[in-house]
Amino acid sequence: MNTLTELHLDALSEVFNVGAGRAAASLSEIVGDEVRLSVPKVEVRKSTEIDASIMAISGNRFGAVTQQFTGPFNAEAVLIFTEDHALEIVRDMMGSQMSIEELAEFEQEAMCELGNIILNACLSAVADMLDISFNSSLPHYAIASTEDLFKRIAQTTEHPYILVLHIDLAIEKRHSEGHLVFLLSSASLKNLVDQIDRFLGNI
Amino acid sequence: MTESAREPVNSSQQLLVKKADQIFNTINMGLILVNANEQVLMWNDWMVKHSDVSTDQAITKKLAEVFNESPSAAFLTSLRNTLNYGLPVVLSNALHRSPLALYDPSDLSNDRVRMHQSISITPLFSDDEERCCLIQITDSSASIKREKMLRSHSEILKKEASTDSLTGIYNRRFFDEHFAIAMAHSRRQKLPLSIFMLDIDFFKEYNDFYGHIAGDKALIKVAKTLKTQLLRATDIVARYGGEEFVLMMPNMPEQGAMQFAEKIRAAIFDIAIPHIKSRICQQISISIGVSTYLSDKDISLHNLLEAADAALYKAKQSGRNQSHYLALEHEQNPAPTDTKDV
Repeated sequence: MNTLTELHLDALSEVFNVGAGRAAASLSEIVGDEVRLSVPKVEVRKSTEIDASIMAISGNRFGAVTQQFTGPFNAEAVLIFTEDHALEIVRDMMGSQMSIEELAEFEQEAMCELGNIILNACLSAVADMLDISFNSSLPHYAIASTEDLFKRIAQTTEHPYILVLHIDLAIEKRHSEGHLVFLLSSASLKNLVDQIDRFLGNI
Repeated sequence: MTESAREPVNSSQQLLVKKADQIFNTINMGLILVNANEQVLMWNDWMVKHSDVSTDQAITKKLAEVFNESPSAAFLTSLRNTLNYGLPVVLSNALHRSPLALYDPSDLSNDRVRMHQSISITPLFSDDEERCCLIQITDSSASIKREKMLRSHSEILKKEASTDSLTGIYNRRFFDEHFAIAMAHSRRQKLPLSIFMLDIDFFKEYNDFYGHIAGDKALIKVAKTLKTQLLRATDIVARYGGEEFVLMMPNMPEQGAMQFAEKIRAAIFDIAIPHIKSRICQQISISIGVSTYLSDKDISLHNLLEAADAALYKAKQSGRNQSHYLALEHEQNPAPTDTKDV
């Protein structure tokens, strides 16, 4: 078996929401305001199927934070801030006066950190649930066009599968949606399935 | 791997072993190695120089207790996360400023402030030992300074781009932008918006007789007087062209607008700038055209400006030194309210 069933997805959804809760706690600590973060939907796709409509991405350019994870399964995790709202949230966090366009270029380090907090929280929740551990590269931030990103995803032959997490992020009145995308090789997807099966068998 | 292939690697490794200590202490960034109990294992010279804590004082102490002031809560949480999960963490300067009690060594003042820092915490793995963490700290003061300078430059440029260089009030570009915003706001909030177009009477004759320098001075005085008449932060006065000015007053209905027009007309008249070539009287006066957007009308920005401009034309035709109102719904017919001072 090489794909995730509803049961697997439910389990992952649950664990990613635990991660989202942790990320929200870290973000709240930094911002000094209540941050709410949730993962309402998790799905697995073939990377060739992916396009802007599936991701409900609007706007031409967006920021993407990438980390390479290695461990029992390997993945390239990309957190995508799809809307200007995400940048507005960062701007609020920093109390910055900059315009959204300036911010995306200027505050690369802060964007990296925001991505890093969410990515690490999700991965550490998975690590806890499956009782495994990961290594990871430091986060890398890039501003990309929608086209570039999907071209790159479709071309990564070593990662034919992608796991997409739809993320809701809210601080005070502002609300934003993002996507956390894990690019997985066939072997890694199988390993992930095996790990979840092992976990489900244990309870 | 063959013996020969390994050789260059080995010599480079030997060199690294020999030089590691020097590199560790020469590098222009803070390096701290802590073990799973958060105890300091390594503390480089950069740290000594910027923290006033010697290597001997730091080694084996818990990192939270090494500094004379405790590290920020977010830093300690991140460190613990990295130790627990083995995932690297970045602490950006933008969100944390100065998590650690580190100072610029050349700052000898008593009220010195912490250095701006960018920090990354990475786990180091080895098979036989417990997990430890490398903390890298860079001084981001220089980029912060650069950022501040760029920001203040851009603020100056922004201000210049929106200001009329002669009179110091807003220019037409600024007005056009903010008119669109104010109009959208009025539409959404269903509030009136009054526009005043005004023109100095017989200004060409003034310039011809008194000269351009005097003409510029008169424009500055008129602009300043108009500015003092504004009531709220959302009111805007701008130089629209040569001797033409425009005022935008959000949430001002038509009756209020006519009273206000009279008030500014009188205010300009009362500065009493001599103008012996004026065919009205011997001082500078203005003509004003007023129109008001009322929420029940579906009109464009252009319509409103046009109506105010047509009202101004009417005011001039009716003898100048007066204000004239033109309602939007009867664009072609002048409204009955006319006032005259002379």
